[in-house]
Amino acid sequence: MVTKSEETQLNRLESQVDNGGGGAWEYLCLVRKLKVRRSDKVLKYGLSILNDSKKRSSLGSEEWTLYEEVAIAAMDCQSLDVAKDCVNVLRKKFPESKRVGRLEALLLEAKGSWGEAEKAYSSLLEDNPCDQAVHKRRVALAKSQGNLSGAIEWLNKYLEIFMADHDAWRELAEIYVSLQMYKQAAFCYEELILSQPTVPLFHLAYADVLYTLGGLENLQTARKYYSSTIDLTGGKNTRALFGICLCTSAIAQLSKGRAKEDKDSPDLQSLATAALEKEARDSPSVLRLSWKSGCRANHLDMLSCSFEI
Amino acid sequence: MAEDLVLDTAIRDWVLIPLTVVMILIGVLRYFVSKLMRSQQNPDAKVVREGQVVIRARNLRAGANFIPAKSFRARRAYFSNEENGLLHVPKGQGQNPQAQMFSDPNMAMDMMKKNLSMIIPQTLTFAWVNFFFSGFVAAKIPFPLTQRFRSMLQNGIDLSTVDVSYVSSRSWYFLNLFGLRGLFSLILGEENAMDDTQRMMQMSGFGMDPTKNLSAEKDGLDIIQHEWALPKFEQRAEAALKKLIS
Repeated sequence: MVTKSEETQLNRLESQVDNGGGGAWEYLCLVRKLKVRRSDKVLKYGLSILNDSKKRSSLGSEEWTLYEEVAIAAMDCQSLDVAKDCVNVLRKKFPESKRVGRLEALLLEAKGSWGEAEKAYSSLLEDNPCDQAVHKRRVALAKSQGNLSGAIEWLNKYLEIFMADHDAWRELAEIYVSLQMYKQAAFCYEELILSQPTVPLFHLAYADVLYTLGGLENLQTARKYYSSTIDLTGGKNTRALFGICLCTSAIAQLSKGRAKEDKDSPDLQSLATAALEKEARDSPSVLRLSWKSGCRANHLDMLSCSFEI
Repeated sequence: MAEDLVLDTAIRDWVLIPLTVVMILIGVLRYFVSKLMRSQQNPDAKVVREGQVVIRARNLRAGANFIPAKSFRARRAYFSNEENGLLHVPKGQGQNPQAQMFSDPNMAMDMMKKNLSMIIPQTLTFAWVNFFFSGFVAAKIPFPLTQRFRSMLQNGIDLSTVDVSYVSSRSWYFLNLFGLRGLFSLILGEENAMDDTQRMMQMSGFGMDPTKNLSAEKDGLDIIQHEWALPKFEQRAEAALKKLIS
């Protein structure tokens, strides 16, 4: 996570470096520490340090870290020649290193030779079956080939060992949603809610999945999770407000003949509608944006709901 | 005592300062030797997995009220059923660490290396100090102390009439041995300084049973009462929205 103060520091350093004020090395260190993705900048300034032999030697042993950073940035920018040079320098310096092996596999992946990259990762994993980075790369590899079921398989294998890694659970959930395997996705979102109960995004996504699954019970549960999202965000989340309206109307449709009145909180929907109206009055552009961003499975439903209002 | 003891400046030059310097050098040397001998060990997948299972079970226990009852029950069964639950440790399966150590020679080797790097220099320096400097009064601390400190500061001198603020050479050695941590962390960097007291604590910590962790977590999970927190959230959401609208 990048905190606010770190971000301002980063931006300040970046503009300083951009305007030729020096401090490139500090900037690169900060980028590495915060793990942000500014590959073009890293490539540009990292290379300028690496090409200047005086500056490079003044780094001491940090030089090799910089080579690694620049190599990864170069792969991200598709400057494969630069990346290859960096990796070769590193390989000459550390002939036995696994870390360089990982870089080489990454380079293969960047070139698009999937099969070789796959093989390289497998052999790395044989040496050290607990290498999280390699496991994750393998998932990414399958994903970039468009092989989503393969990605799921690798992810499941990974989660069997590292089952407390919530980022992996999140990735898995998103893949399941994109494959419309909602029951599995619901499980993953439950896992995410368990690990971080106060993050409203997970409540919202779980509610979305439940709503999409349908059925009276699921709809009621979804409504509860939409309300928890509203509570956690203080009612600022438009998607959750729409969700409340949708769930309530769907529940009303489903339980029509049964005369079972929803006695929990009958005026939740009217409140949500009022909040939405207020939001539309105050800042119409936000609402339009949220329509655009709400383009998942229930996108169309969302729109129709807002016309009902 | 009418008159203070006067310490020869030669004692300062030839006992106090050399002793300190040697202790520091030995500390630094030991750090590099242990760094050389440390073997890169890959964590065992099974151990990693057990740690992760415990974390996940703890999450479940902490956040149980945030997921529907059905999901919670399914998870609890997954973790703690008697046949193949993740937290269930079959009886007799719990390896005791002693046996584990014998079955894995690497582990014994590692321990021996650690021990060697700790014990050998200590014995040698202690013998050296004892041989050359036994019986010296090496320094005087500038404030008075009570009699209780006599055994700490005047180790090796069996005189009860000497004022307690005088420090014998052997005690100076011990003070250096245990008190140089701050200096090492300055020289070698914060996390690299490991003094002997810590190392001893680590040694005694060795031999904990990892399966205990699992079964403790299982018991905790078994007694937990699931009470879904979400129905309350509808009212809270209403309140939040009312506040927003008004």
